[in-house]
Amino acid sequence: MRRFPDADPGEPSRLTPGHYLLWLARTQLGVVLLGAFYGCLWPTAQALMPYAVGRAVDDGLTGRDRGDLLLWAGVVLALGVLQAAAGILQDRCALTNALGARYRTLQLVTRQAARLGATLPRKTSAGEVMSVGVADVLQLGRALDLSSRGIGSVVAIGVVAAVMLATSWELGLVVLAGVPVMVWAVGALLRPMHDRQARLRDQQAELSAHAVDIVGGLRVLRGIGGEELFARRFHAESQRVRHAGVRLAAAEAVFESARMLLPGLLVALVVFLGARSALAGDLTAGQLVAFYGYAVFLGTPVRRITVFASAVTKGYVAARRVVALLALTPSIDGGGSAAPPVGGDLVDPASELVVKAGGFTGVACTAPADAAELADRLGRYVPSEVTWGGVPLGDAALDEVRRRILVAGNEAKLFAGPLRAELTADGAVAGDDSRLLAAIEVASAADVLEALPDGLDTVVTAGGKEFSGGQQQRLRLARAVLTSPDVLVLVDPTSAVDAHTEARIAARLAAARAGRTTIVFATSPILLDHADEVVLVDGGRAVAVGTHASLLADPRYRGLVAREEGAA
Amino acid sequence: MNEASPGLPVASVREVRRHARRLALRHRRELAVAVALHSLGAASGLAGPWLIGRLVEAVSAGVDDVGRVTALICVFVATQAVLTGLAMFVSARLGERVLARLREEFVDGVLALPLGTVEEAGTGDLVTRTTRDVDLLARAVRYAIPDTLISAVTIVLTLGGLVLLGPLLALPCLVAVPILWAATRWYLRRARDGYLRENASYSRLAEGLAETVDGARTVEALRLGGRRAARVDDDIAASSAAEHYTMRLRTVYLPTIDVAFVLPVVATLVVGGLLYLDGMASLAAVTAATLYTQQLLIPVDTLLFWLNEVQIGGAAMARLRGVGRSPAAASGESRGPRADAVVAGSAAVELRGVSHAYRAGHDVLHDVSLGIAPGERLAVVGPSGAGKSTLGKLIAGIHAPRAGTITVGGVPVGALSLEELRAEVALVTQEHHVFRASLRDNVLLGRPSASDAAVESALRAVDAWSWASSLGLSTAVGTGGVELSPAQAQQLALARLVLADPHTLILDEATSLLDPRAARHLERSLAAVLAGRTVIAIAHRLHTAHDADRIAVMEAGRIVELGSHDELVAAGGAYAALWASWHGTAQA
Repeated sequence: MRRFPDADPGEPSRLTPGHYLLWLARTQLGVVLLGAFYGCLWPTAQALMPYAVGRAVDDGLTGRDRGDLLLWAGVVLALGVLQAAAGILQDRCALTNALGARYRTLQLVTRQAARLGATLPRKTSAGEVMSVGVADVLQLGRALDLSSRGIGSVVAIGVVAAVMLATSWELGLVVLAGVPVMVWAVGALLRPMHDRQARLRDQQAELSAHAVDIVGGLRVLRGIGGEELFARRFHAESQRVRHAGVRLAAAEAVFESARMLLPGLLVALVVFLGARSALAGDLTAGQLVAFYGYAVFLGTPVRRITVFASAVTKGYVAARRVVALLALTPSIDGGGSAAPPVGGDLVDPASELVVKAGGFTGVACTAPADAAELADRLGRYVPSEVTWGGVPLGDAALDEVRRRILVAGNEAKLFAGPLRAELTADGAVAGDDSRLLAAIEVASAADVLEALPDGLDTVVTAGGKEFSGGQQQRLRLARAVLTSPDVLVLVDPTSAVDAHTEARIAARLAAARAGRTTIVFATSPILLDHADEVVLVDGGRAVAVGTHASLLADPRYRGLVAREEGAA
Repeated sequence: MNEASPGLPVASVREVRRHARRLALRHRRELAVAVALHSLGAASGLAGPWLIGRLVEAVSAGVDDVGRVTALICVFVATQAVLTGLAMFVSARLGERVLARLREEFVDGVLALPLGTVEEAGTGDLVTRTTRDVDLLARAVRYAIPDTLISAVTIVLTLGGLVLLGPLLALPCLVAVPILWAATRWYLRRARDGYLRENASYSRLAEGLAETVDGARTVEALRLGGRRAARVDDDIAASSAAEHYTMRLRTVYLPTIDVAFVLPVVATLVVGGLLYLDGMASLAAVTAATLYTQQLLIPVDTLLFWLNEVQIGGAAMARLRGVGRSPAAASGESRGPRADAVVAGSAAVELRGVSHAYRAGHDVLHDVSLGIAPGERLAVVGPSGAGKSTLGKLIAGIHAPRAGTITVGGVPVGALSLEELRAEVALVTQEHHVFRASLRDNVLLGRPSASDAAVESALRAVDAWSWASSLGLSTAVGTGGVELSPAQAQQLALARLVLADPHTLILDEATSLLDPRAARHLERSLAAVLAGRTVIAIAHRLHTAHDADRIAVMEAGRIVELGSHDELVAAGGAYAALWASWHGTAQA
């Protein structure tokens, strides 16, 4: 079997659902064809089984021939072995096909999400990408998985039809017409059942969400009470689900009865007609037994074809969503090739904010939204008029901007993995830990590290959930400091840490970034006190510039940062 | 942090069996009816091949019995269909009943867990039990157990039918038994871990993608695209390896049992055929035996398929029953109610020589002594890891101190019953939870009998009435409802506390998610409502300290400074330095 992943998932030729499905099939054409071959062999062997049993009865028993009995019994055994071998080989091909489609699509979706970057939330939703990456890839896999089985089923029906028609065309026609009608009828009965099952699943999920909610808030419930309120509610809902389950069971019981009755009656009809022709001498006893077998057997491939048809339809729908996602493009384009000089001032014409090169600038915004917008403009996360050393950021290559200007806000995420690797973002120098430890010291996060059982080798979970808000914030700060960009833009970097720690961070950050442009958006006096220059932004415009101490004379600034008069 | 949690108990295999037996006995009538119906249904299913055997013989002999036999086949088919349907309904009804009871008992057990256990075990394990194990058990009760039952009944009856046809005709069936037994045993031993690994690899794939998507901006800012691609490729390699492993298992198992299913058919045909040729069996008996043998395939296959699921259901039940068995939950509550433990009015909190460690030998609090007068407002400040939150948890009675005593109104905290403790001390932390319920119910937790007017005044006290009234008290909030901001969730947590109205409140960074100005305003309006109550506020914002009666500065598990704001500023210690910086006079 083939191993995955391919280092390069390749690129679909054209972004339409049909082409995408075909492209997936083409990337593993050999396995698809081989699977189809085994897919034909397997049901054919199965279909010939009743024939061989029938011959054993006719030639061996009715014909009283020991040799023929053993011969046909041997054929039954050989067919059984062939069927077993073809079955598993077909399964293996089908799995390879399904996995190939799944993994390849997942590779493309992940690479696309990374390419969209900050634009992703504006172009699509996280839920949409996740549902493509989790649910739709399964549908694509199923469509490819079932392709070989679908082809096999068509062939099997053909083989059985040929055998039956050659034996008795009247009886053959009855079976060939009766089986699809029966499968159709069962399918029609099944559809409303699926809806009901889906509804019960939803109710069950709702109940489960309630229980999870209780567990999630257990500390609150056990701390201040309310257990009875929630227990009562859960019991009531649990009973509702129970009654819904019983109602569904009633419907399922009726369905199950029909599912046994319909084929049973078809078999009875075949037996009746077969026995009549046997009496008339048109059919042997063994052929009668064989027809019984065919009628029982044919249900499987016919059902399979309907399953295959629905899998292809669902696969097409899934492919449409994949293709729509892959077709998205980032809203900020790569930009030109201008290279902003090292050591230039940053100027934002919209707010008249000027950031001096090489300085530690504090920016205090009266509205938190202004800080986020300004930071986005400075990092060109939105179309921006900002110039750097006179060169518009819009004229520079986006990759160059990302490399040299880092905007680190509190929405930034820690990723799962060994702490050392996760704190060392691309571009930061790997090797010995000294620079990393220095950055951790700047962020005053050494105590976080000390508490970890394996230090820097500790594997942290997604989002660093095992850390408190303040610890996460300090780890993110260490990561940002370590990348050591020409311009470091920090948005509220100490909002979740205590005053003692904040004071330490402020002093160390100013020292570590000495001589390099650092912009800190904050309203904390402890942090602003360490800035070379503080800019007050009110109503989206820079209205005052000075040091923290000098600005305290400005009532707007004082009201914002010195909180003893802040109670409005 | 990353410390291994002690985890919640799991019931033993014996206990699970005993419980299953108790359940079966309690519902023995319904169970008997279900088994009887299934048996009758399966017995009717045996008539078909037997009648066909008769027909083949009749046809060979040229006797026209076709109409009567076909009519009989139809009758039996219909009987089997109706009985099986009824049996399914009866067993499903019983299953739903048992299932509802099991999950309700589980949730009751969860709601009775002692506070300390909840803190230590964390909620991860409980969430897994609540979702995964309840689902697994449901699957076992709804499908695995009834199907296993039906298959077992069908197999027994079919074998019985074979014996009736002629004991010798039943023997060839047995050739499959050792092969099926050995192969299934081999497979099941390995399959569970294999499939668990496969599922885990899919969870990892989904988590990896979720991280990339949620952190897409970070990926762009730090240029981590290449790493994210490498991560998904690694996860795919692991997933692919897990898939290969289970496929290898199936490659051995499936062909083996497929062949094992054909062997009895061939053996019956040969043995029966030879017996017939020697005049020891009728043509009808041989035909019927061959068809029976073929028919056996389906129930045996079903039985093998579900065998594993029944086991998994048993394991799920062990974990669910384990929660109800947590020692304190079993006896209702760990705290023995004590008549003399009743505390009247607002009471003094007294800590004497308190030390505490989460891990033996690693004290996080060292010999802390502190008296808090009734109605006093104490602020606790200090760097992270100084032991502030631990102090709060000890006073709230969540953990018992390793050494020393903590009393409320002279009564040790540990001696209070849960009811009394709640009336006495309550803790609100940074961690906030909005329940999937109406806004009203979210506040009512503290005092379920409270009127809407009381809820309103509680919400007003925490500055939340403006947004709460525009939403409406009946609006569903929490997951699936209106999503509240973290700041609003924190206000809600405080409103609960205001409504519960305990004598002593511990606020551990309880306003940290609000913006500074709003936090200060909230604290002032809270102070008005809580006048006369003892408040211990753990905070990293200094204005909280400034507004308090006294401030305790903690460092490395000790209280290093204690006094009013003015006293501490005048003393010129750590607090004074911090205050100066905060106040913007550091450069002086």
